[in-house]
Amino acid sequence: MEQKGVTVWFTGMSGAGKTALAIRLEEELRKRGLRVERLDGDIVRKGLTRDLGFSKEDRDMNIERVTFVAKLLTRNGVAVLASFISPYRAARARARQEIGNFVEVFCYASLDTLVERDVKGLYKKALAGEIENFTGVSDPYEEPESPEVTIDSGTETIEESLGKILAKLEELGYVPTSEDDSAYTEDEEAEIEARLAALGYL
Amino acid sequence: MGFLDKLRSKRQGQRVVFIGLDGTPYTFLKRLIDEGRAPNAARLAEQGSLLRMESTWPWVSSVAWSTMMTGVNPGRHNIYGFIDRDPATYKQFIPTSRNMQAKTLWEVLSDAGKRVVVVNVPVTYPPRQVNGILVGGFLSPSLEKAVHPPAYLATLQSLGYIVDADPWKARESKDLAIQEVNAVLDARIRTLYHLLEREEWDYLHVHIMETDRLHHFLWQQMEEDHPTYGPAFYDFYQRIDDMLGQVAGKLDGNTTLVWMSDHGFCTVKREVYVNRWLMDKGWLRLRNVPPDRKKGLDEIDPSSVAYSLDPGRVVIRLRGREKDGCVAPGAEYEALRDEIATAALQLQDPDSGELIFQRAFKREELYHGPYLEQAADLILAPYDGYDPKGTLYKENLTFKGDELVGMHTHHDAMLYVRGRTLPQTRFSVLDVMPTILDLLEVPAPAGLDGHSLL
Ligand SMILES: Nc1ncnc2c1ncn2[C@@H]1O[C@H](COP(=O)(O)OP(=O)(O)OP(=O)(O)O)[C@@H](O)[C@H]1O
Ligand SMILES: [Mg+2]
Repeated sequence: MEQKGVTVWFTGMSGAGKTALAIRLEEELRKRGLRVERLDGDIVRKGLTRDLGFSKEDRDMNIERVTFVAKLLTRNGVAVLASFISPYRAARARARQEIGNFVEVFCYASLDTLVERDVKGLYKKALAGEIENFTGVSDPYEEPESPEVTIDSGTETIEESLGKILAKLEELGYVPTSEDDSAYTEDEEAEIEARLAALGYL
Repeated sequence: MGFLDKLRSKRQGQRVVFIGLDGTPYTFLKRLIDEGRAPNAARLAEQGSLLRMESTWPWVSSVAWSTMMTGVNPGRHNIYGFIDRDPATYKQFIPTSRNMQAKTLWEVLSDAGKRVVVVNVPVTYPPRQVNGILVGGFLSPSLEKAVHPPAYLATLQSLGYIVDADPWKARESKDLAIQEVNAVLDARIRTLYHLLEREEWDYLHVHIMETDRLHHFLWQQMEEDHPTYGPAFYDFYQRIDDMLGQVAGKLDGNTTLVWMSDHGFCTVKREVYVNRWLMDKGWLRLRNVPPDRKKGLDEIDPSSVAYSLDPGRVVIRLRGREKDGCVAPGAEYEALRDEIATAALQLQDPDSGELIFQRAFKREELYHGPYLEQAADLILAPYDGYDPKGTLYKENLTFKGDELVGMHTHHDAMLYVRGRTLPQTRFSVLDVMPTILDLLEVPAPAGLDGHSLL
């Protein structure tokens, strides 16, 4: 099956699980023989958009540049895994429109969970008023209205969330299902079996 | 600076060239060196460490190379043999790279930004994404489908590259076997030199399968000093030795030469049909005798309590796991497993009275990890010379053929690393991946089962 390009767009507040899920999804798609590239907020902001901050204008510009890269990759048959807080609905809608093959994954966790988890220690600082423009605390997060997938990292394991995303990607035909996933056609399999038999393995 | 030097100097840091010599026994290469038949290997052995290594159980290439390339045991990479079955449906399948559940050495290197070129390693079809080139090996259906990126196919075709020798031709006659393996070796070496000189890489891995093929068809003739096939065997190894010398001569000071074999070899005394034995003991019954080959494992009668997959993998028909399984988990399962293991260790060659199996491993003695459930329940480890087969039905327990005369051994694999002194400890194929990562100064992923030998 020819690989169909797609951008899987993970949106959600810091610590909600965007990066963790993108990393696992990358592994899984590679195993299935797909071409994958990951674009992650933490990485992109050190390079492509290192000049930008966290004002609404800068956040929009961040997403605009990333959208451009994702669009190029997607139309060339790559599975792009984009993990950005991307708090503004309008920016995500533009990304969807530009890119076309777009699967939005809303990574949710309750604020309590996020504060308790505090992977990067940022919530503690934000709640103490030490970080301006911190999404969900001192800056808005606009939840998606109709994402293709919603995961709740407060109640699901990573593998459960991953399963939901993979199922949707299979359903939409971006990822081969286990049925059309077989490595050999019937004829090839017969020939391979004959080869194994010739070497005494069957 | 010449064109080639320019190309080479683009890559900074340490590099490795890895030659896989499938099934070349450590003791055999040592003998060639001692007898002056492998002058290049002899010289290189003095410049580094040439050590004996243990293979996997079972010692088939798919398991051994999967272990080599992932640095984890089969319980974690999920490759247990050339053939496997879904216990719930008894559908048999050929494990491929899609079934491999662990990251490969070349994927770890790719993630670290290294460029890799990997050619012909077993169980790398269908090709998974790497930063560089990957050409699938044994059990690729065609070259066309085995190449990543697909565009590299044209180069391989222009080199006359061949995926594998035709084993049916090789079975027809010993002369044809020799012709076949030499022709494929030509293509392989030509491609190796091309990759070495023209491609950009930090890690270049070329797997020679032809050694294993030669051994399967001609090991006995070599051991018995057959007047024509004996010399033909040594001529073939002269070409291998020459290739090692050529490769070593082409490397710069930052590039380490490594070669490895995944198991040893010996002459087959007898093929042993484990399912025949299970039938004789009353543990296995077939619906039809002889069974319909097309029906595969569905020919197993539901009253059976055990069956065997190649080579020496005994599966208990556990309730809840196996299709129509009838052995209760817990005490009944354990008692049956012990009973079969004990009986296996007493099984004798009916002709010579020699014991056939040296060990009967419970799977948890060999494997651990999330895919342990896919493993057979007992892994029977034969004495060298007894070749356990998974054929579902045979009339007799043993057979001695003249087509496939060589078989694998466990304790006689080998590892060579140039320019390094490795400790003379016991180690296994598990330790190869972390050692190569170490040579390339790339951190090993957490939790590998193997350890760097450096
Ligand atoms: N179902 C789940 N999905 C994703 N992550 C989960 C899940 N359950 C628990 N976690 C844990 O939640 C944490 C999520 O952190 P992660 O770095 O992925 O967040 P993020 O959304 O990328 O945040 P940021 O925007 O700051 O980069 C990880 O430690 C992860 O192991
Ligand atoms: Mg993140």
